[in-house]
Amino acid sequence: MATETGARLGLEYRDTNGFGAAQGGRGYYLPVDLAVRSDGRIYVLSRGDAIQGGNGIKITDIDHNWFEEISRRGTAPGQFISATAIAFDASDRLFMADEALHRITIFDADHNYESHWGTEGSGKGEFDGPSGIAFDRDGNLLVVDDKNQRIQRYTPDGKYLNSFGSAGDGNGEFSFPWGVTVAPNSDIYVADWRNDRIQRFSHEGKFIDAFGTTGAGEGQFNRPANVAVDADGNIFVADWGNQRVQAFDKDWNFQTSIRGAGELSKWAAEYIDANADEKEARSTFDPYPELDVDDPHEVSARTEPYFWDPVSIALYDDTRILILETGRHRFQVYEKV
Amino acid sequence: MATATNIGTELDLIAHLLRRTGFGATPGELEEAGALGYEGTLDRLFNPGDADALPVDLIRRYHADHNDLRIPPSSGSFWMYRLVTTKTPFEEKIALFWHRVFATGQTKVIQGKVMISQIDMFRKYGLGSFRDLLIQLSKDPAMILWLDNQDNHKDNINENYGREILELFAMGVGNYTEDDVKECARAFTGWTIANMPYMSTKMRNNTLRPYGYIAWQFEYDESDHDDGEKTFLGETGNFTGEDVIDIICKNPATPLFVARHLYHHFVADELPVPQWPFEGPKDPEAIQLMVDAYFANDYSIGAMLRAMFESDIFKSESKRFARIKSPAEVVVGTLRLAGDFDWPTDDVYKATAACNYMGQQLLGPTSVEGWMGGDDWISTGSMVQRINFASDTIGNPDKRGIKAIIGRIADRHPSGNVDPEALVEDCLDLVGRLRVEDGTQEGLVEFVREQGDVDPATEDGAGKITSLLQLIVSTREYQLA
Repeated sequence: MATETGARLGLEYRDTNGFGAAQGGRGYYLPVDLAVRSDGRIYVLSRGDAIQGGNGIKITDIDHNWFEEISRRGTAPGQFISATAIAFDASDRLFMADEALHRITIFDADHNYESHWGTEGSGKGEFDGPSGIAFDRDGNLLVVDDKNQRIQRYTPDGKYLNSFGSAGDGNGEFSFPWGVTVAPNSDIYVADWRNDRIQRFSHEGKFIDAFGTTGAGEGQFNRPANVAVDADGNIFVADWGNQRVQAFDKDWNFQTSIRGAGELSKWAAEYIDANADEKEARSTFDPYPELDVDDPHEVSARTEPYFWDPVSIALYDDTRILILETGRHRFQVYEKV
Repeated sequence: MATATNIGTELDLIAHLLRRTGFGATPGELEEAGALGYEGTLDRLFNPGDADALPVDLIRRYHADHNDLRIPPSSGSFWMYRLVTTKTPFEEKIALFWHRVFATGQTKVIQGKVMISQIDMFRKYGLGSFRDLLIQLSKDPAMILWLDNQDNHKDNINENYGREILELFAMGVGNYTEDDVKECARAFTGWTIANMPYMSTKMRNNTLRPYGYIAWQFEYDESDHDDGEKTFLGETGNFTGEDVIDIICKNPATPLFVARHLYHHFVADELPVPQWPFEGPKDPEAIQLMVDAYFANDYSIGAMLRAMFESDIFKSESKRFARIKSPAEVVVGTLRLAGDFDWPTDDVYKATAACNYMGQQLLGPTSVEGWMGGDDWISTGSMVQRINFASDTIGNPDKRGIKAIIGRIADRHPSGNVDPEALVEDCLDLVGRLRVEDGTQEGLVEFVREQGDVDPATEDGAGKITSLLQLIVSTREYQLA
């Protein structure tokens, strides 16, 4: 680890975007991933549940404009059962992974279903629970093949190229990896979920380093779900089990940790304004009650502003990060300072 | 009644104990307990190690809806995983027991998250002092909103919780007066939850908007507590909720009531609770044994049960297979036997729904009185559900638990073909030393004969054994614990 130099990176809360929408419509329900399109539109993968629905890819922007939702629960082409991740290619085609159907679905830039590929199995080019996805610098798709404990690389049309990783806790080995991201310098970062660490690989898939141990201290993780890297190489980790986001510089020097500070979003405020009884009841609401629990998941369950299951992070114009929370059906916007 | 091998042995007694303190035993579990002996098994039950159930992080990752546990299929399934995969099923049996006695329903409180927290509390306090348990129950946010104690104010009492703690939870009808109910309610004024107006409104409106549910947190509002003098069950003082619980716990009616519930759940089916004020317990000696243990051990529920399990009453032949399994016992026991849920699977929702169809929605009792149990579990429709579920669950020779049973049979008969009588005996033994009536056993043997030769080492033999197991779990006797 290099010696830390210069001022620490900070993260300041700016905004909240979201609204619980179990029956569809404006808002999200149990979202698991988000991605920013080249024009700044923000796509939120709302996994939903099998009973009430709320499944789809919801489209908004940084100013809370609501556009539309695409895809829904099902096994037909263009649908999903247990979607895990979304990513855009250079042409703004949208790729979606589904760990139940073991397939990658592609939508064109106008959101029309284009194709899908992938089969279940453990051989080359087969999946056992495709999880995170990201495009490498050559435009090929990296797929976290979760239960096969590896990262596979494909051409956009699904031709298998190569893979790296195997089960274990050594360098380059994985324990149920989840999210993957490609840094601006082409390095590949993998959230090595059950090993409680982030691993870094070269573009070719050669192990560079691993960072993190199990715990709740600085530089420790509890089941990290995802990672994002900005143009300076700063690293942002969705520390899912600890219900926080940690930031590091490119040499893994700890910068800051945030717990969340969510407020009523524009959509949420409109809802409260339109419901007089809830508005009145909320007027005495203390968002930070005194608690008799210390388990981070329980604390988040009882504290509305805090992140509850921060599952994914996306950079927005390299000045802001968007932190998506499964449990609160929203994302919080923080600015780098 | 025909018997499986070695009926009357210590192993049969252990199997009986494990049916009552758990969900029956797999062959491996029974073998392990057999090595400990009956007393050793009891020691382990009361000093359990790690539950070592399917890890919660795995469940939450692969079931996004198990994060907030908002809707009943999510919360029920979350508990189902624990029930099926725990290595300490007695904790779950205790949790199910208190869930039935202190019946709280997600139908009203809406939040599955707080229901699961209540079940966690039952696990933690369920075998300890009844006083501690009642205090935790009175502070439990799900219970507070279930029985409206958030509306119990010093200037305007709401009697709901004050009444039910006496009538349904601790003493039973006939052991208190209407004045006691009011005084009890006064003692619990100020026992509420944080942010009550907003939380209560969200519950009433049944809305996840804007950001999902916010799990509730107990809060004592001293300014809303009536600290005036109260006369309760013959004692007078400026009683708090804790004081009232002290008075309840030392009242002789309390352990009688609790013991009867324990007997109903762990020993043999009793009359439905509404009949208790009018008809005494079926087995007064057993009840008195537990009452004595209660007073001798600081109101310990665990001591009551241990005294019961060590008694000749519990061990007697008349108590074997003397209870009708609850739907949870059928579903969980069968899934454990089959070795299901090694990994998160959507089948968990089907199992939870099956339990519901049989008449027991986990976290959703039909009323504040909980489930009556006994004959009440059985109807034409529920029997069909029970048999179909058990048969479907067992009907796959590739499942871990079924493979293990077939493997044991193969080990017992290395020479190949198994005699039909011996095969039926083996299978009855390996599903938890089940006993069936003579006619049933003869029918099972006849079924095997019709199948032709059975070599357990072959795929054909494995299929035939699986079919026999399906038939066994479809018997009337399999519905008894």
